[in-house]
Amino acid sequence: MTISQESTTEAVRALVDKHLNLTAHGFEFGVDDDLWNLGMTSLSCMGLMLTIEDTFQVELPEEALKEDTFRSVGSITAAVRSASEVRA
Amino acid sequence: MRTESASHKVRPDQADIVIVGNGALGLFLADELVERRAGSVVVVGPGNRDAGASAAAGAMLGCFGETTTESLRTDASRTRFELGVRAHDRWPEVTARLEEYSTTGSPLLVTPESHVVLNSIGATLDTVNYEAMIKALDEYGKPWAEIDPNEIPGYRPRLDTRALKAVHLPNEGAVDARGVLAALENRLAQTDTVLVDQTVAKLVRNNGQIIGVELDDGHFIEAGTVVVATGARSEALVKTALDDFDTVPMFPGLGFAMLARRTGGEKFRSVVRTPNRGFACGLHVVPGPGDLEYYGATNRLVDTVSSVTWMADVRFLAQYSMQQLDERVASHEVVKWLAGNRPVTLDGFPLIGWLPLSGLYLLTGTYRDGFHCAPLLAEHVANELQGKPGTIDPMFQPTRKPIETRTIEWSIDEYVEHNLAGWFETGAQAAPQMTTNQIADYYRNMAIKFYETMNIDYALGPDILWYAQGSLLGARRVARYFQRLARAEAQPVGA
Ligand SMILES: Cc1cc2nc3c(=O)[nH]c(=O)nc-3n(C[C@H](O)[C@H](O)[C@H](O)COP(=O)(O)OP(=O)(O)OC[C@H]3O[C@@H](n4cnc5c(N)ncnc54)[C@H](O)[C@@H]3O)c2cc1C
Repeated sequence: MTISQESTTEAVRALVDKHLNLTAHGFEFGVDDDLWNLGMTSLSCMGLMLTIEDTFQVELPEEALKEDTFRSVGSITAAVRSASEVRA
Repeated sequence: MRTESASHKVRPDQADIVIVGNGALGLFLADELVERRAGSVVVVGPGNRDAGASAAAGAMLGCFGETTTESLRTDASRTRFELGVRAHDRWPEVTARLEEYSTTGSPLLVTPESHVVLNSIGATLDTVNYEAMIKALDEYGKPWAEIDPNEIPGYRPRLDTRALKAVHLPNEGAVDARGVLAALENRLAQTDTVLVDQTVAKLVRNNGQIIGVELDDGHFIEAGTVVVATGARSEALVKTALDDFDTVPMFPGLGFAMLARRTGGEKFRSVVRTPNRGFACGLHVVPGPGDLEYYGATNRLVDTVSSVTWMADVRFLAQYSMQQLDERVASHEVVKWLAGNRPVTLDGFPLIGWLPLSGLYLLTGTYRDGFHCAPLLAEHVANELQGKPGTIDPMFQPTRKPIETRTIEWSIDEYVEHNLAGWFETGAQAAPQMTTNQIADYYRNMAIKFYETMNIDYALGPDILWYAQGSLLGARRVARYFQRLARAEAQPVGA
């Protein structure tokens, strides 16, 4: 099954939003906005990482487990897509 | 008899027993097996012991000096603690046996005694651990005496971090770790044992049986019995033969210490140490060998084994040795920077026993006192390899589930207490209007959120919690491990 870039981005965006409670608190955010500046903490990032892996059924490579990977919806999407390619 | 420590250049093709790892555990085991004439033994490990724990150890023979409030709180921790107590009795015979193989020119037992100081900088954690130590000494009938800190030879801290209380432990000393390792190698070199100065790339199996090891250059050594004693690298090596087997996860506890030459002032003549401290083993100085002094040690759980040193750790050790042990340390000449990785398990207990692959044995997870326990563990493992009854409790078997010693609430309290200790010891400043309780609340909330996020009900020790909340890789390893355990348990038997 191949999932389009757009639908992955949308799904990541929804997870990020749910995890960081962004729109609920009136924040708007785009694909490239820096989540660390939007209040993501190391703990919320940790939860997000676990959820992302569970949802997309991927295992991010060890070198992807760093701040930069989780900086934005775009960077997370890219990591998810490259991990799914490895799997496929 | 004096010989140069030498790794044989020949590489055997076959042995009865291959020990992978040339740290304290591997070498003491080899020595024990040779003593028993238990067959041909090959030890594989790099001569420089890259990032190993043993060569970086202070090698305090400490069991009571290491006591914490946790040591005797549960049956499991008590069993673990008593390994140390029993190991202690071995050392007079060990040093006597090894002395003639030593080439350091000074005694392997660098001091037979310790002083434990209680200063105010380590927060309440120091106080409760100090009290726990005295209680344990009394319970086990070991000698100790309160002493005026000013009478401890060499002990000259800055006034603001001076101790107001101290105890003398006349029977708890330290050995020269590097000297002991060299003496063991010299002793083994006089026997048929072969020390191969290389690393093992992978364990080789055939169906349900281990058949040998493959070295980094592809050379194969055939053996019916293989013992993995590669310290913090053990789990990774076991995985090369048992990919789908989950031992209790292991993490490297990177530690930093310094060997320095004193340039003035009165020498230390005993181990002088604080109680065990926030996440670490307390600050200590070990005198010797010769005119050197060992200052240790930091402890930081990390993602991967390496021998790097954090600048923060260098500052920590240099500054606090100078403040809390002896002002003159500032002008000591550092002759060696030591960095090594303690083999730390998720539940804090060792991993010792047969693995689910015939002929494969695991000996690791000794964390802070593996040097001290090595001779005792060697006897136990040699027994097991020879099919005799072991001499320690079977609870440390690597096929176990993580041992539980605390509740989540307890874990959170401990985490708070360790962080406060770290906070104050490192001189962190809070805004004047901020109380200690508020700092504690911050750490408490962090720990509560951590457990919510991880969704695990196993209560972690403070060091593992600290690591996992700061490392995505660490958090993932812990979370996924417990998920796999839960899945395995949910599966009906025989499925
Ligand atoms: C700074 C510091 C201070 C310490 N202080 C004390 C103390 O005062 N008292 C005490 O009792 N304990 C102390 N410890 C703990 C103690 O050092 C360890 O518990 C113990 O040394 C572990 O021994 P080991 O043989 O299992 O592991 P290690 O000493 O780590 O030995 C493992 C060996 O295996 C080798 N190896 C790794 N991978 C491979 C491979 N693939 N093939 C072949 N060889 C391999 C490594 O190079 C290494 O030489 C301290 C540790 C540190 C880091």
